[in-house]
Amino acid sequence: MTKLQAKNIVKHFDHNGNSVVALDGINLNVEEGDFICIVGPSGCGKSTFLNIVAGLEKPDSGEILLNGKPISDPGPDRTMVFQEGALFPWLKVIDNVEFGLKMAGIPTEERREISHRYLDMMQLTKFSDSYTYQLSTGMKQRVAIARALAMDPEILLMDEPFAALDSQTRDLLLVELQLIWERTKKTIIFVTHNISESVILGNKVEVFKNRPSRIKKEIVIDYRRPRLAEDENLQKYYHQILDELKSEVIARTKDEIQ
Amino acid sequence: MTGNIPLKKSRGSIEDAANAALLIATFIGVWQIVFMLGIWPKISLPSPAMVAETFAKIILNGSLEQSIGITLARLLGAFAISITLGTLIGFVMIKFKGFGKTLNSFSAGLLSFPSIAWVPFSILLIGFDEFGIMFVVVMSSIFSIMISTYSSIRNIPPIYVDAARNMGAHGVSLFRHVTIPAATPSLIIGLRQAWSFAWHAIIGAEILMSIVGLGHILSVGREFLDMSQVIASMITIFTIGLLVDRFILNKLEDKVRKKWGLDNHR
Repeated sequence: MTKLQAKNIVKHFDHNGNSVVALDGINLNVEEGDFICIVGPSGCGKSTFLNIVAGLEKPDSGEILLNGKPISDPGPDRTMVFQEGALFPWLKVIDNVEFGLKMAGIPTEERREISHRYLDMMQLTKFSDSYTYQLSTGMKQRVAIARALAMDPEILLMDEPFAALDSQTRDLLLVELQLIWERTKKTIIFVTHNISESVILGNKVEVFKNRPSRIKKEIVIDYRRPRLAEDENLQKYYHQILDELKSEVIARTKDEIQ
Repeated sequence: MTGNIPLKKSRGSIEDAANAALLIATFIGVWQIVFMLGIWPKISLPSPAMVAETFAKIILNGSLEQSIGITLARLLGAFAISITLGTLIGFVMIKFKGFGKTLNSFSAGLLSFPSIAWVPFSILLIGFDEFGIMFVVVMSSIFSIMISTYSSIRNIPPIYVDAARNMGAHGVSLFRHVTIPAATPSLIIGLRQAWSFAWHAIIGAEILMSIVGLGHILSVGREFLDMSQVIASMITIFTIGLLVDRFILNKLEDKVRKKWGLDNHR
């Protein structure tokens, strides 16, 4: 079943008074239970696309359909895990996780039950009453994932959530995220500039073309899980994506120099 | 980790108290020496002991207590008005961007406007009464509250708002659960500044407009050439200002900073 559909999404940016085409007709079908990775050169508009799906930005034309219905505003059916710094420093870990539930008017007792479940899943129970500054970057991202999952969204959006992590922590979370995906059967769209990340996580990898951005190629990765970063068999997918991306990165660099 | 904190804190506060005592002792010592050198006549510069005597007198006859009570009552009343109105206007400034920007520039100009300069205006507009004095205090502190509300909210990292909207917060709930708490550390700094403006203003206004209050006993001291009373009033004003800043506003700020982890990046 099609969970989410992006139809011909176009978005312009104002850059020093000139209108720049950021997204030039993005079409994407996300099936229920898909783990989609969007990979592309930095500045190619992949985060913009995710923000549009989240409803945080509006497209200039085109529409996003969730379960066949068009969306326009942000909503808890599409929760986002941001790159970093999106946790609320004035709330304890547990209250961060419960924030969206509270906004939805869910009674305290039920909130506690849900937040405990996800804190437990992310191995954060010990830190429920900590404030976010007391956590490492990796733990903060676990909280952010717990917070997003607690909303039980139709679709989970992740915008380079592991970009700020050290590589050991990232490898660990890459495995954990696959396990969570298998356990919760969530539909996930994961944006990254890191090819290995996309190969490890995605069952489909969408390669974005440099500005004006379109989907250049979809690569299906049908390989057993949990996939590990050091798995040699993933190399062929890695190179396949790299080949697609190389010319884009070169084009991007040229753009920037000019 | 947590075991060390109270220990460190109590050691720190004993050290602070010792330093403060040393500073006060030095000040009184220098004062006594200058007095004994006889550069100024006694009437112009009394000794610490003479001022202490005056203190005893105004404490015993109740005039100090009465003055402090009246001054603080006026100040708190006016400051409450200032905070309420200033915050509300600040919210309106956020809501209507063009208006906010213009008013912000004007308020910044009025921030440096001397509080004493409001006095003649207030006397003619409102009169020689409590409300006249409170008006001066409100006008001297409200712009600081307005500017601080406006800029604190404008400077909230947009990612907090994005994250909150993403989780279904909007309108009043967004404001209450994200805008206000996110702006709090910065709002408290504004509050401290406004308090100091209000404190300047109340004493100035009382010197010129009042027949009771701390500013008044200060100016009575001058009229009766009673330097001991002038100094005793000044010490009282200084002490209250210090206590409020140190034990209320500073504590509040420390608490919020600690909760946010803003003091942990050393």
